[in-house]
This record gives sequence, C-alpha cells and structure tokens, in this order.
Amino acid sequence: MKQPLLLFLFYLLTFTLVHAQGTVTVAGRVTDAGNNDPLIGASIQVRGTTLGAQTDANGGFTIANVPSDATLVVSYIGYIDQTIAVNGQTSINIQLQPASTELQQVVVVGYGTQQKRDVTGSISSVKSQEFERQSSQNPVSSIQGKVAGVQVTNSGAPGASPQIRVRGVGSAQGGVEPLYVVDGTFVSDLSFLNPADIESMEILKDASSASIYGIRAANGVVIVTTKRGKAGQARINYNGFVGVQRVTNKLEMTDAREYTELYNEKNAPNTLTPNLPSTDWYDQILRTAMINNHQVSASGGSEKMTYSVSAGYLNQEGIVEGHKYERITARAQQDLNLSSRIKVGYSGIFYGFRSRDIPGSIFYEAFVLPPIVPVRKPNGFYGDPANFPIGNFANPQASLDWYNQRSNGQRLTGNAFGEWNFLNAFTFRTSLGLDYAINEFRNFRSEDSLTTIQKSETSFLRRSRSKANSWLWENTLTFQKTFGDHELTVLAGTSSQEAFNETLGGTVEGVTYETEANLYLENGNQTTLRAFNSAGREKFLSYFGRINYSFMGKYLLTATLRYDGSSKYPKSDQYDYFPSIGLGWVLSEESFMKNQEVINFLKLRASWGKLGNNNVQPNITSTPVSNLPRYIAFFNGIPNSGSNVTYVPPPTLLWEVVKETDIGVEFAFLNNRLTFEADWYNKETENGVFTIPLIGTAGAENSSITGNYATFRNRGIELAARWNTNIGNDFSYSIGVNFAKNKNEVIGLATGNTSLAAGDLGLGGYFSTISRVGLPIGSFYGYIVDGIFQSDVEADESAQPNASAGDFRYRDLNGDNTIDERDKAVLGNPNPGILYGINTSFTYKNIDLQIDIQGVADVDIYNGNRNIRFGNENYDQDFYDNRWRGPGTSNTYPSADLTGSNLDPNSFYVESGDYIRIRNLQLGYTFPTTTISRLKMQGLRIFLNAQNPLTIFDYNGFSPEVGGPSPVSYGIDRNVYPLSATYNLGVNVTF
Amino acid sequence: MKNRLYQKKHKFWLLAGALTFGVFYSCSDDFLDVPPEGQAVESQFFQTQAHALQAVNSIYGNLREWNNIAFAHLALTTVSSDDADKGSVPGDAGFMNLYDQFTVTPTEGQLNGYWVGQYQGINLANRVLDNVPNIEMDEALKTRLLAEAKFLRAYHYFNLVRAFGGVPIVSKVPETPEELNPARATREETYAFIEQNLTDAAAVLPTAYGAADIGRATKGAALGMLAKVKLYQSEWQDVLSLTEQVMGLGYSLTPDFYQIFRISGENNSESIFEIQAQTIPGNCDASNSQWAEVQAVREQFGWGFFTPTEDLVNAFEPGDVRKEATILFRGETTPEGDLINPNAPNPRYNQKAYVPSSVTQACGYGKDQNIRILRYAEILLMHAEAANELGQTGKAESSLNMVRERAGLDPITFTTKEEMRMRIWHERRVELALENGERFYDLVRQGRAEQVLRAHGKNFTTGKNEVFPIPLNQITLSGGKLVQNPGY
Repeated sequence: MKQPLLLFLFYLLTFTLVHAQGTVTVAGRVTDAGNNDPLIGASIQVRGTTLGAQTDANGGFTIANVPSDATLVVSYIGYIDQTIAVNGQTSINIQLQPASTELQQVVVVGYGTQQKRDVTGSISSVKSQEFERQSSQNPVSSIQGKVAGVQVTNSGAPGASPQIRVRGVGSAQGGVEPLYVVDGTFVSDLSFLNPADIESMEILKDASSASIYGIRAANGVVIVTTKRGKAGQARINYNGFVGVQRVTNKLEMTDAREYTELYNEKNAPNTLTPNLPSTDWYDQILRTAMINNHQVSASGGSEKMTYSVSAGYLNQEGIVEGHKYERITARAQQDLNLSSRIKVGYSGIFYGFRSRDIPGSIFYEAFVLPPIVPVRKPNGFYGDPANFPIGNFANPQASLDWYNQRSNGQRLTGNAFGEWNFLNAFTFRTSLGLDYAINEFRNFRSEDSLTTIQKSETSFLRRSRSKANSWLWENTLTFQKTFGDHELTVLAGTSSQEAFNETLGGTVEGVTYETEANLYLENGNQTTLRAFNSAGREKFLSYFGRINYSFMGKYLLTATLRYDGSSKYPKSDQYDYFPSIGLGWVLSEESFMKNQEVINFLKLRASWGKLGNNNVQPNITSTPVSNLPRYIAFFNGIPNSGSNVTYVPPPTLLWEVVKETDIGVEFAFLNNRLTFEADWYNKETENGVFTIPLIGTAGAENSSITGNYATFRNRGIELAARWNTNIGNDFSYSIGVNFAKNKNEVIGLATGNTSLAAGDLGLGGYFSTISRVGLPIGSFYGYIVDGIFQSDVEADESAQPNASAGDFRYRDLNGDNTIDERDKAVLGNPNPGILYGINTSFTYKNIDLQIDIQGVADVDIYNGNRNIRFGNENYDQDFYDNRWRGPGTSNTYPSADLTGSNLDPNSFYVESGDYIRIRNLQLGYTFPTTTISRLKMQGLRIFLNAQNPLTIFDYNGFSPEVGGPSPVSYGIDRNVYPLSATYNLGVNVTF
Repeated sequence: MKNRLYQKKHKFWLLAGALTFGVFYSCSDDFLDVPPEGQAVESQFFQTQAHALQAVNSIYGNLREWNNIAFAHLALTTVSSDDADKGSVPGDAGFMNLYDQFTVTPTEGQLNGYWVGQYQGINLANRVLDNVPNIEMDEALKTRLLAEAKFLRAYHYFNLVRAFGGVPIVSKVPETPEELNPARATREETYAFIEQNLTDAAAVLPTAYGAADIGRATKGAALGMLAKVKLYQSEWQDVLSLTEQVMGLGYSLTPDFYQIFRISGENNSESIFEIQAQTIPGNCDASNSQWAEVQAVREQFGWGFFTPTEDLVNAFEPGDVRKEATILFRGETTPEGDLINPNAPNPRYNQKAYVPSSVTQACGYGKDQNIRILRYAEILLMHAEAANELGQTGKAESSLNMVRERAGLDPITFTTKEEMRMRIWHERRVELALENGERFYDLVRQGRAEQVLRAHGKNFTTGKNEVFPIPLNQITLSGGKLVQNPGY
C-alpha cells in the first residue's frame, strides 16, 4: 500500500523541483477591511515554510527571503484567513474580512487544519472562549449541550470523567468512548486537562473526518489543541473562582412516622411502635461543599521562539461528608524556529491529584436505611439497625466514618516535534509523544465494631499502584500547492505506538499501627500477606494518507485511507484498511447564486467511510491458564495451588467495523448572521462484539463467549443553528440551538435469535435489560404491570395465584395463564432519542451574560433503588403518597409489601428520564480599559457563575443522569452520585 | 542549477530514508508480536508434574463453588424434601418456594446454575484425563491422579443423574460441535458411565493418604460412592458386596454424633469423603465455601435458609441424640456457649451447618466447615438396606443397630422385611438429615415421594417431579438437541 503513495509523492516532488525560483523581501500592512484600522499581532506565514511575522502596532510587517513564487497566509483571530500569492511583489497590503460565522473559522482535523468551509465531513468545534465562560472542572462537561449529537452524562463525583457518546452507542460490549487526541497524543480521557488550557476542541463525528484515525475512530474522535504562545509581548493571566456546591433535587424519603405506617402495612399492624425519632439520611451525609480553582498562565515570544506556561490548582469537596479532591495541572510549551525552514517544539502537561474517597455504596445505603434508625444512640455508639426488627442494614454515617481510602495519581503527557519545510510545498513532521501515568490508592479498614454488621475482627489494608506508559511516534509528509483553480493538499504518514500497563498491589490483615505513616503492607500480619500483579501490552502500527482537493473553491474532495495493525489480534488478522471519501459542493460559489443577497453561503456535502473499534479485551483469542483462588484445594487444612484450562475463548475476536454515511448541508444567511447546519447519518456497526451464552456441557469457567456476532445501527439527524447579531454599538447577542435525534437498534445477529440479558439487579438473577435483534441495545425488559390486585380473591383467579392484594398484576402475554419468562416484554429504552441544547450569549457594553440550556428527551431510566429490596428498606415519598393501601386506593402503585414477585423487573420501575436543565449561567463585568490601565492591567473581568442551578425532571431519583457500566447495563439507577449545583464568584486578570 | 538539483535530491533521499526507516523498522514481522502480558496460556500448561497436581487440585477446589454446594444444590436437594423449608424472611429468595412447592419451571435460574456447576467440574476432570497421561512424571502418582479425576467426574455425574435423569455424557474435552453438544444419554447409560469411572478409580486409589493429602479421594470413597450408585439402581447384591468391602477398610463410627459436624470432627475415622473448606486469612477468594453461611442463624451468623421442618423435628425418636445435634433452636445455648438469637426470624436452623462463633469469621461465617459427603454410617445403612432386601436379616439388623446405638437408641429386632425396610429408611432420614441433600432423592428412589411429600403439603406429581426440568436456556443453546423431561 505504501509504494504507490511514495511514488505519487515522488512525482509531486520532481514537479515542484523544476519550478523552484529566487527570493524577495516582502513588506506591507494588515488592516480591517471594514474600518481600515490596523490589526496588531496578525500572523503572516509563508506557506510551506516556518518563515513568518507578526504585525506591529501599526499593522506593519516585513519578511525576508520569501521565495518569489510563495504564498502568504494571513490570519488574525476573528477574521477570515487570506492567502496571497507573492508573485515577485515586495509590497503587499492586506485587508482582512471579519469572520462573522463559524464557517470561516479554522478547524483542526487529524494531522492538519482546514477552513470549516472546506470540510466535507461533520466536525463540530468548541473554542477556548466557550470553556472560559463557564467553570467546569472537566473539559468534557463543558461541551454538554454545545454540540449536536454528542451526549455527555456527568457524574457528580469530584474528579470523575463524564461519559460521552457521539451519535449514539455503536457497540454493546466494546468501548463506546471516543478517541481523545491531545496535541497529537492518544489518550483515553481528559480528566487530566484543565479546561483553561484548551485552545479548541474538535469533535469529528462522521467517518470522513474520523477515519484518518482508523481502527480507533469508531466512536468519534475528540481532538484537543492546547494553547500555544504567540509572538509578541508576554501576557500573564490569572483566572480563578471560589464557590459552593449544593445538591439539587434532593430525593424525599419517608420520615419515621410514614415509614412506620408502611412497615406495619407490610408486616402486621402494630409491629413497629409509632413515634420513633426520625433521621433523614440524605441530610445526614450530604453537605454544602466548597470549591476553589486558580490558574496562572503566561505566554509570549518572538519570531524565533514562542512559549506558554500555566499552572492550575483545584480544590473541590464532594457533597458527601469527607469526600475531597485536589488537582494540580501544569503545562509548558515552546516552539522554536531554528531556521527559516526548520521548526521544533514541545509541549508537556503534568497532572497530579489526590483524593479522600467515599464508600461506593453510600447513596444506596442512605436510600435503603429506614429513618427510624438514629445516627447515634444516646450512649454515643452508632445507631444499630439490628436493634430494630428490620433486618441487616449498614448505618451510612458509620460507613463514612469507617471508610478510609486515599488515592493519588500523577501523569505526564508530552510531545516533541520537528518540522521541516522544503520546496515551498512540502512539510515533513516527526513527532514523539510520551505518556506516563501512575495511580495509587490505599484502603484501610480498621479492626472495629461499629454496628452488628459493620465490624471486622481484624484490620485490613490494601495498597495498589498501577502504571501506564506509552510512546507514539508519528511521521507525516504534507504537500500543499495551488495550481490555478486547483488546490491540493496531500498527506502521507506512519504511526507506531506501544502501550503498557501494570498493576501491582497487595493486601494484609492485622495492621495494628493506625497512623498514616504506618499503613504499609510490611506492618501487617505477614502470614496474611497477598500480592496481586497483572499487566497488559499493546502495539499499533499504521500507515495513512489523505488527499484534499478543491476546484475553484466550489467542488471539494477529501479522501483518506488508513492501514492499521494492532497486536491485540491473531497474527493472521492484524491489519485492516479504513478508507473514506467526502464530497462537497459550495453552491454559493456558483454563478447562479451570485445575484442574491439572502444566502451568503451554501454547501452540500456527503461522505462515507469505514472506521474501527478496537476497544475490546486483548488476547481474548488465546486460551489462558486459570490460576484462580477458588481452585485452591485444601488437604488437611493446607492450601494447595490449583490451576486448569477452563476458559473457552471465541474462535476469533476482531475489531468492530463501523460504516457510516453522512449527508449534510451548511447555510449562512442574512450577512452571515444566521448559520445553519444539518446532517443525516446512518452508522452501522458490523462485526459488533456480542456475548452469547455458552452451552453448559462445555463446562467452561465463562458462561458466555464474546465474538463478532452483531450488527448495530445508529441513524439520526442533527441540526444546529446560530443567530449572531448586534443592535446598535452597545448590544450584541447570539443564540445557538442544536438538536439531535438518534435511533439505536440491534439489526442483526450472526448467532440467530439469541438475546443478551444484562443489568443484573443483584437480587439473585434478576436481569433488567435485554439486547436482541430489533431492539435498542440494553432495552429494559420485564413484565408489564396491568394494575394492582385489589383483593386476594382477584389474585387467586388470575395467572398469579400466589399473589396477594396490593401486588402487581402482570400481563399474561402468551395467555397460558401462568406468568413466566415468556411473558416478558420490552419496557423502555435507556438510549436517549433526543438531545438538545440552547446556548445564548448577550453583551451590553461591559456586561456579558451567558445562559446555556440543555436537555435530553425520549429516554427511560430503570429505578433500581426502588426495585432492589431484600426486606424492610426505606421508601421514597412519592411511593408513600401513592401506594396501594386497600381496595380502590391505587391501581398503579403496589402496596408497601414489595417482596416476592413484585421485585421481578417490571414496567413500574421504568420511568421517563427526560430532563431540561439550565446548565450554565454566567454574568460577567469587564472593566473599561481606561480604569484598569492605571493598574497596569490589560484586562479585568469579574463574574458570577451558576452551574446546573436548575434541572427539571419527573424521575423519582436524585438525578436523571444515570449512566452505567456498559451499554447493555445502562440507565439503571443504583447508587448514583447526586448532582449538585455550583455557584461561583470569579475573576480573570490579564497583565 | 544542476548543483542545486543535486542538493535537493540528496535531501529527498534523506527524507525518503527517514520515512522508510520508520516503515521498515515497523514492518519487521515481530513488532506486533506481543505475547499476552502476565498471562500463561494453554500451550504452556500440562507440561510438568506440578501442573498435573495443580489441575487435579482445581477439581477439588471447584467442589466448594457456590453452584455446587449452596443455593442451587440446596434448592434441588433440600428445600424439595420434607426436611427443610426455605427459611430466611418471606420475601428473600422467593424462587426457593418453587422448589418447595414443585412449581418450578424450566427457566428458573438455580437449575441452570446446578447444571453448569456440575459440567464445570466435569470439564476440569476431563482436562486432567485428556492431558495428564502425556506428562512425563512419576507414573504411580500419575495413575493415582487420573483415578482421583475419575472419582470426581463420577461424583458430578451422580449429582446430575439424580437431579435431571439421563444427561449428555461429555467424557473428553470437546473439540467438535457434536462433542460439545451431545444428546442426553439414558439414565441407565449415565449410571453405567458413573460406575465405570468409580470402578476404575477404586482399583487404583489408596485406602489412606499421608497427612499432607488428607481429603483426597480414597479407595473407600470410590467403593462407597459406587455402592450408593448401585443403591439408586436397587442392585442389592452389588450394594451388599461393595459396602462390605468398605467395611473392611478400617472405618469406624465415632462415639459422639454431635462432634462429627464440628471443625475437630473433620476427616475423622468415620469420614469417607468430605468437601474440604478452610479460611485462609488474607485470601477470602479461596475461603469461599458458603454452605454453612447460607444456612446459618439469620441476624446472628448468616442468611438463615433451609431451616428444619417441624416434621423433621418430630421424626426423631425420644432419646435420639441426633435431634439436638441436627436442629439448632432459637434461644438455645450451644455446647460451645453461643446463645442463639431468641429473636431470629426462624424457629430452627440446621445445626450440622453450625460453626461456633469462636471460629474465625475473617472471610465470613463458616468458611471452615467441610461438607460431609459420605460417612461410614451411611455405608452401614446401605449395607443394612441391601441385606434386608436380600433376606440377610442378621446383617441388616447388625448394621442398622450400630447406627442406632451410637444415637443412643435401643436396637431393633427384625420382624418383617417391609417393617425393616421402613425402619432403615427412617434411620437414613434422621441420621443424614440436612447433611448432603439425601432425603428427596431417597424418597424418589424409594417410590414414595408423592405419598410422603403430598402428606407434607407439596404438589409432587409422580411421573414428573422425580426429576427437575432441564434448564430451558440449555435446551435453547443445544438447538433443541436436549429433550425436556416429561411434564415440563
């Protein structure tokens, strides 16, 4: 594959060689095309070289040694780039048009940049300003509701990364997170990045734009470009805020009186004495938490060298008592022009965090523990649920106090590159990326007896350290040349990568010294010492190329090809081709569109491409030896190691293949004040990884095997519009609206009519979801509730003779007068059908206001908290208010006796997950230049910010943002970290 | 001009070199050749004597798996009988009632768990039997290990045949779809396969082991198990001769019935085969036997399932020491000094699964409790039953009375064969109650399950409930090759 490409490059090279000519010195001035004001700090670049200059205070510039046939590229933030052929001229004055629409902006594509107007695929771009005008701690949270077709599901936990899905879920059991590329380095999430360090974030949504990343691009690609220094005076900036976080939409539970009433209804009258004191467990564990964030940055440089450095500190408390997260971020970047043709540079990002953690099940514990249990007894001991006739429960306060876990991690992500421009048209770039991360935690459970079930005979210490490091070496050669009406860019490259990870840890009992300094494995009872150690290694080898061709700026073509190899797969099947093609037609450049004023820009585009998802378990194809603790045999009480071959691997397991078609249209109307973009896409995942049950006679340790059995489809539309204008000189505003509709479906299964049950509720084989042909991935599944039995007689006469009054009446779907597996039906869909966002910005004189609204509709949640009951768990207020409590009281809510068949997954527990939220509200005031120049400041802005101040939903839970461990077990509410609103006061100073 | 061109060309080749360097370096065949990091693979196993030992150990270790000894096992064998109720609190694990009432349908999850659990054990044994013969190692040890694997394979098939009737026989590691998905053998074929395995094992296994190997299958275990397999087929002459062979191996009844089920009574002189369990401090994944925990006093020690019925309490004759040793009443104080929670939700618990609170609970309750699979007392009762059927009344009396005497009861004198048979069956019930799930299968074997269980208020239907349904998903996975039991 590489040979024709090299030949082609060779041809281009010789073609250019023949045309090489002499050099000139060019001088001139850059001004605003509207008012002729000089543009200070505009960049003039000689294409294909590192030659360039910045305009001075008068907009002037001079560049020596410019090849006389060179092309100048002039750019300035907020203006449209202009290219000018030198053609031997020595004096060139340039007038730049303000870029009033995003169509004219430059977007980052894989291994290069393009003007948005020339892009043939679907790329959404979020610029630094969008990150600055909100105070999210995670960059991914910042784009929630900003980009059509991108679903962001937040976790309320400090330091946690949101789940992000581009155009639905394309995989049931493989990874569904997009690929993140930070300054050319592949990373798996962005939690190590400070949003304030981001210059732009591009989301490559369709195959034509993403397929340059081949086997990793199936879930979309998020390219993050961090800020780089610009030549000119040093700019020093401080950006900080302090604030508080408070839980919103607190779930009301019953109080002691109400609970007692329910308990007595469930069990027997008067079994629980009334008038017990009441504890609100959520009030007990939740708190108002502090957050503060500081970031200092400096950037600047000269023609020869530019730099930027920054350091940030975040201190965030969780809304649960004891939860704390601290983050340090630091970044340094430098670009050096060694000669007029050679440029080198590097960027490095350091990230460090430490946290005090909370037990994973604390929210579930607080949900289930009846309010009749006190936090503490009069004697000061923890309130013990065992003192009440309610069964085994943990006291959440005791859980919090007993839990002792600290985590910390450090990560260094860096990239160094060298760039060589030659023959005015070629750029060779080599870049080496390194990523090194360490994560540690230590968990200590002291020897203690807090309640009947929260006790430990011996202390227990676990320490673990995991390390991940990788290198990535990429080489690209870019050819860029304009031949008359033909503009051609050709890219060819290679990429190789190795990633390694290892976890090493141990556990020990009987550590009797409990100070932090003594919590090490060596201080425990050495006869109980155990170690664990595992690792993984993966390598990639890839070749890729891209051709961008434009004729008269009217007809656009993008073709890419990537040839990817991965060590995850068996030797015979390590490589695959990932091609794509995109076509664009800028109608507004056609003569028949020239004589009208309404439409300023109109482009039709269509693309098709193939992508891969290699995010499936590695080495699954080789049969491992199972050396499991449960295979240890005891003889005379002495353990003897046991191992065997018990895992049955699938025949072969390869990457998933996504083939995606995208058809789009882009408009700009009314002097570019209104822009509109629409896309239709059809994304089909072939060879989808799907688990099928393994026949029992195989006797395998695994009850199922995973193979490339399924075909999935996501099909939908995306609309985005923005209205941008000003009224007079003092008031300007912009309103952006985006909307996306997606339909997800399993459309084929090679193994026939099998289905995959998942969403285990932990009740002993109660699965709440199913994935099978014709349904969305992970559909909720169970019995349909047809009402409530109003009397025992009614139940006796039904298909559920063992049921009693107040129990669910399930629909007997097959009419055989028994209720069993065959009567189960699809109850809901956890994959949102509709995502939307409204992003507004208003500026009046020095005051600015942003309001961002975001919502999700056509989605369901499985209320696991209500369903997962073992006995006398607490009830939510809504249940208390509406429950069945005698004939005729309710035909929708059951009685308090939620046991037995009432716990089978059923439609009662499936609720609408629709919500609408004010995601970000920011009011800012920018001090006038006259005021602050006396303080030697260049800029000063103060702001008030509210994040998630209002979320509206019907769901009976803390948060409609539920998420889940995998697409087949998604949207099941079990112990979700409650969402909170954050209110901040911040300041931004530039010197 | 020429010189410049040369220079440029020179640079071009440098560039081409740099690119191709990357390419060739990468293209070298082994760049993507990455062995599974930190993971031994199949081809590296079954190479040494140590591997042979580890592989056989895995079959023993697997015996304590959840499916094999906890909910699935106890649902099928114990809740189904008249000895135990579901226990715990009403809403907890409601599906157990389906086994109590014989309303279980083929989709119920424990069925599949039990099925899969047995075949997992069979697969571990098949791996050994297929691969260990090729290992160069001590031949005597190799022969013994293969015999142990055969014993354990037979154990699993015996569980299957009693629960489901004839089952698919997988006698080697499956390589073809046909071998992976065989049709059900008949009950007779399944029994024949079990007998062959046990006969082979008995011919090789030693009568006893050194201290480091106590708990491995012995000749006595193989013969005793074979006797029981024969008992289920009413092959009385074989039962008689096999039990007599075991009786010649030096086992004896221990004097204190209660102590058999304590930690100190593990692997005692009466023990023929036990599933070995142990707490290893710091390794709770290996300390995983939940047999005692699921039956332990609720709201004090464990989950409180599989509680003794009143019918069982009343079955003990006055003066029978086994009653107090088998049934743990709430409010009682055990000989070890534990006061059983007077407010526990169930009136009675299984005392054979009782582990004193002084025993470590570092990995949870009762992880040290071995499960008694075959005791000498059962050999004597099988011997008595066979002798009675064959008209050898003296032998029947003598073996039966040895068991009764230890229980503190008066000896029985033979009257009629039928009377004696009822006596022996009764003795089996009270001697083995709640120990290893014998009662339900005994009632089926004895042909009186419907009579006894219906009297106990259960919906047992003759011609259907002698066996449980084959799990529906296994039938589906077999593509319909597995045929469902009648009535389901």
